[in-house]
Amino acid sequence: MVKRVLIVEDEPNIVESIRFLLEREGLDVREQSDGALAIESVRSQMPDLVILDVMLPNRSGFDILRDLHELPGTRPKVMVLTAKGQARDRLTAEEIGVDMFMTKPFSNQEIVANILEMLA
Amino acid sequence: MRKSLSGTRIREQRRQARLTQKALAEQAGISASYLNLIEHNRRAVAGKVLLAIARALDVPASSLSDGVDSAKISDLHEAAAHHPGIGAEVAGIEELAGRFPGWAQMIAALYRQTRDQEAMITALSDRLTHDPFLAESLHGMLSNITAIRSTSNILKSIEDIEPEKQARFHQIIHEESHRLTDAAQSLVTYFDKKADPKAGIATPEEELDGFLERHDYSFAQLDSLGEAPASNVEVAYLVNRIMAEDGQLENPETNRLVTAFLQNYARDALALPHGDFIKVARKSQYNPSVIAQNFGTSLHTAFRRLAYQDPAKTAAPPMGLIIANAAGRALFRRPVADFTFPRHGNACPLWPLYQAFASPQIPVAALLELPGKHKFIGLAIAEAQGQPRFGQPAKLNAAMLIIHYEQRALLTKWLPDLGAAQPVGITCRICPRSNCTARTEPQILGDEVSE
Repeated sequence: MVKRVLIVEDEPNIVESIRFLLEREGLDVREQSDGALAIESVRSQMPDLVILDVMLPNRSGFDILRDLHELPGTRPKVMVLTAKGQARDRLTAEEIGVDMFMTKPFSNQEIVANILEMLA
Repeated sequence: MRKSLSGTRIREQRRQARLTQKALAEQAGISASYLNLIEHNRRAVAGKVLLAIARALDVPASSLSDGVDSAKISDLHEAAAHHPGIGAEVAGIEELAGRFPGWAQMIAALYRQTRDQEAMITALSDRLTHDPFLAESLHGMLSNITAIRSTSNILKSIEDIEPEKQARFHQIIHEESHRLTDAAQSLVTYFDKKADPKAGIATPEEELDGFLERHDYSFAQLDSLGEAPASNVEVAYLVNRIMAEDGQLENPETNRLVTAFLQNYARDALALPHGDFIKVARKSQYNPSVIAQNFGTSLHTAFRRLAYQDPAKTAAPPMGLIIANAAGRALFRRPVADFTFPRHGNACPLWPLYQAFASPQIPVAALLELPGKHKFIGLAIAEAQGQPRFGQPAKLNAAMLIIHYEQRALLTKWLPDLGAAQPVGITCRICPRSNCTARTEPQILGDEVSE
């Protein structure tokens, strides 16, 4: 069964490169650029993994992360991917609960390897 | 004030005058043993005796009797505590202040100067760390770099990419490198201005303020928009022309802020056409509620239209304006004489602007008194922005219109009873009110005053 990844990110050019890399790996890639609509996208599309930016329009990635933990049923795996790489942001994400924390700019090989490992 | 050290000062003056206790006592008409007790601060000295000693020493009596300023003593104690490693003789502070008031004054002044400069450096350092322009610029640049790096790596490491996709990735690199150039240019301009002492420290927000000041906060070309139907193209043309004619806008981020401001101004001018607006404003004595009701706009729009006028041309009372979001960030600010807005950090939490957030859509009117005793009428309201959505928190902005109290005669028809003046400040860091319960941080300039 094809695994599904939801990219919650408001920079379309970053989304495009990640989408390209993941589709080459046979993954089904969806996207959402509005923080306020992220949880609705998770509910409706039921991804196996969410790639989550922190600084998003209308709702921060940390708030979305908290919402994800409150969803009933199986929670998708979450990779926080952010330019806010400071120690306290990593700590905040880890306190809320996150499967992987990566900072921008990222290595294509590393992000693909991490995502495949999380989906395995 | 401390009186007990007069004796010490008399002794010091006597020694400087090279007089023995006996000689001074004779000249002052008192016994040597009594003078000895006085000099050792074991007898109080005042009145005729003090005058006689002062005359004998040929110094003003006040130089002997004036006590040592307790604030100075306090500063000396603080200075000693601030540098514990130096080992200043704390027990001798009062004697130092009594015997060498000039030196004590200098040590206290130097300590105060150091303390204030440290506070100032901390404030500037905080500002650099939390500068929204720097934070946003760096975040934007990291996003640009991420897109460029990821896309270029795809082009380099993957060979079987369709030509269309290849072209698209080249386009992304082109777009993002342009954005990166703009962002870098903005930063260079920003730091260039920081490095130029004549230019001072200017953020894009401060440059927007400078642009508005140069134009007296009003734009006749945009005001004329409301008189006839205008297309988006016409608005964009006028906005570009105003910016080009200004000729001082270099920073792309400042250009973005100025463009957004002028577009908003144009929207307001279209909603409240200048000629009709002036008529209604004058007839209603500049009543924002009547203006908003007449044109079917929000009070915030009426506030902006009232504040962004040139009083010299409209005969309206000068009005200041600040509009802030719920996080306290100022989105619009139009200062008025004697009432300025802090460029950085938080404004006075006692302003009705912030109280308005507690009860959205309910207007708040208050009489405000600044530490300099200037009085102002403050009219504030918090309004929801944009389309409300179920399940989503309301996005609130609050606006406060500020009118000098001296202008109240122009507003008599509608101005409610404002009650007693409420003491407020501009921002805690420069507010001298020492007993304010709303203070959030110590002040760094000048002396505190009790109410």
